[in-house]
Amino acid sequence: MKLIHVVFALLLVVAGITIFVLTSEPPLNAAGIASDSIKGVSLGGDGAARLSTIGDAPLYFQIAVILLAVCLLMMGVNPKRRDTLFKGLMAGAGAFALFAWIMLYTSYQDYLATGQTDIVAGFPVPTNWFFWGVWGSFVVFNMIYVVFFNRYFLHPDDEKTFQDLVAELKTEKGGA
Amino acid sequence: MEAMRQEIILGCVFIYLLLCIGVGLWAMRRTKSAGDFFVAGRGLGPVVISLAVFSSTLSGFGFVGGPGLVYATGLSSVWMAVCSALGFATGYYLISKRIRMIAEVRDTMSMPDVVFARYGSETARLLTAATIILGVLGYLATQILAMALVLQSILSATDMLADISLLACVVISSAVLIFYCVTGGIIASVYTDLVQGIVMIISGALVVITAYSVFGGGFTEVSSILLEKDGEDIMPFGTLGSMASLSWYFLFGLGLAGQPHVASKMMMNRKLSDNRVVLPMTIFGYVIAAMLWVSVGVVMRALVLGDVALPLGAPDEAAPAFLSTYAHPLLAGIVFAGLFAAIMSTADSFLNIGAAAIIHDIPKAIRGKSLNNELFWARASTVGLAVFAAAIALYSGDLVAILGAFGWGTFAAALVPVILIGLNWKQASAKAAIVSISISLLINFVIQLYGIKVPYGISTGFLAMLTSMILFIGISLLEKPKKLPYDIDRIMDL
Repeated sequence: MKLIHVVFALLLVVAGITIFVLTSEPPLNAAGIASDSIKGVSLGGDGAARLSTIGDAPLYFQIAVILLAVCLLMMGVNPKRRDTLFKGLMAGAGAFALFAWIMLYTSYQDYLATGQTDIVAGFPVPTNWFFWGVWGSFVVFNMIYVVFFNRYFLHPDDEKTFQDLVAELKTEKGGA
Repeated sequence: MEAMRQEIILGCVFIYLLLCIGVGLWAMRRTKSAGDFFVAGRGLGPVVISLAVFSSTLSGFGFVGGPGLVYATGLSSVWMAVCSALGFATGYYLISKRIRMIAEVRDTMSMPDVVFARYGSETARLLTAATIILGVLGYLATQILAMALVLQSILSATDMLADISLLACVVISSAVLIFYCVTGGIIASVYTDLVQGIVMIISGALVVITAYSVFGGGFTEVSSILLEKDGEDIMPFGTLGSMASLSWYFLFGLGLAGQPHVASKMMMNRKLSDNRVVLPMTIFGYVIAAMLWVSVGVVMRALVLGDVALPLGAPDEAAPAFLSTYAHPLLAGIVFAGLFAAIMSTADSFLNIGAAAIIHDIPKAIRGKSLNNELFWARASTVGLAVFAAAIALYSGDLVAILGAFGWGTFAAALVPVILIGLNWKQASAKAAIVSISISLLINFVIQLYGIKVPYGISTGFLAMLTSMILFIGISLLEKPKKLPYDIDRIMDL
């Protein structure tokens, strides 16, 4: 199966979950409640009630989106250069992104169930997973880009081939 | 120094505007052709490119709208910023190399040029140009309006200009923008972006430190107040909930690379290998500047919900109110200049790509060749576009809000499949490109125009983008693969 088929399948999964959510009867405060006393401010209210009709749809939605993002990123590397190390790096970084997301989601579920959370480095635990986990896990992909730039993203052979192509096209233009 | 607060702020903004004019004059001497005007002759270094990419991504929205949204809805909107690591990764993994290579072999000046080179379809080029013009008008009008409102808030606080009108502020701020964009084109734009990017990074860093010290207990006290008063707002999904937040992550994370003002900068670097340095510098700059978005928003929300400060008149007042109350006058001056920088750095990019669409892409799509004396017409259309956008900003009423909301989602939905997937998949077809762009425009316009409310706060741009991606791949898979032009085929093998 080619990567594009996986991308297409994942897009259909995302679309399927979205349709399920859109057709679920939204609870009263699904997208927040306007504050009575403060203009322009909304409150979240009962977070658990907001998920009552869609259950864990957001969890699966984001898992599909992360997998989709990893597959799309892999498409950016020439198929003949996608060696075992590259696939391992992408799988590892993808697994880290999924881990960060699942930690965010489960710690948020814990908060909804108990109403309690610890504050670490100034913010609640789920929010730390959000700031540093969700953002940081994709920084790993950026680090792969920087560290393995010449191996996967601009191989010296590819650069040479491109320069040859430019020279060839210039010669053709000059001849014409 | 406190007594001189307004004078200091005004002085900082004045110095910044003078700097922009100076850069415009300097760049004018380096702008000798349409190629210089639109793509800076493809000769820019990594520092300029990285600061230009991040500063044009984080517009005035990030400095005014972002804190306002956090004040209003908690952390929901921060998904738009947290996805930046994914957004820049998709940009550099998927398009930066090929778009630069195509620019070199085909001498492309714009995204519609790249679309034509890839698909060989004038209709696809025309639709891409039309999408850009529609998106640019909305974005530009909102940026001009934001610029004028900020200037009005600064000037009206002085005794001499207490009654200055919004029209006068639109004229003053647009005049500076038009001046440096017309004289120096993209060269002025990217070098002012350099200044603007530095100002934004300094502003972001200093504001976080200030925000931290507003409460004695720092951000821990802020979180405690918000947990007590609401709780959901300081949690990852904010008050808008999980599906609204995640739909923004999709739209902004995967959609960043489809923003023409960002992607077109990837055509301008001197060397392909510079991308290795450009990517981390871009992310670093963006993150530091975006900290202002989160820190000011949560602190202002905690101040108001915690009954320490009075409620704001409107959420967008969060950043100006924070600066005027809690920031040192000099810091307030730098950040107000940073605010102008953020707005202008995006507006100048839009002026440039909008002018390219009008005088380069549409004539090429319709009559097969661009206008004679492109440089003159580029300058003329830059003035025309800015004046038209300013008129929309002043006189269109609700239209400016509709067009502004239309901007990012329009670009992402229409261009992500065509550019991001199309440059990495040979089977992608012209027909699929035409259908996906058209359908994405239709979905975005219908939902915005009729004010349709999507359940769970799901973003309309996300719905349009998802639909266009599925259509693009689905239609291409159903079609027989066509032979690509020799040069494009070779580039897509690299």
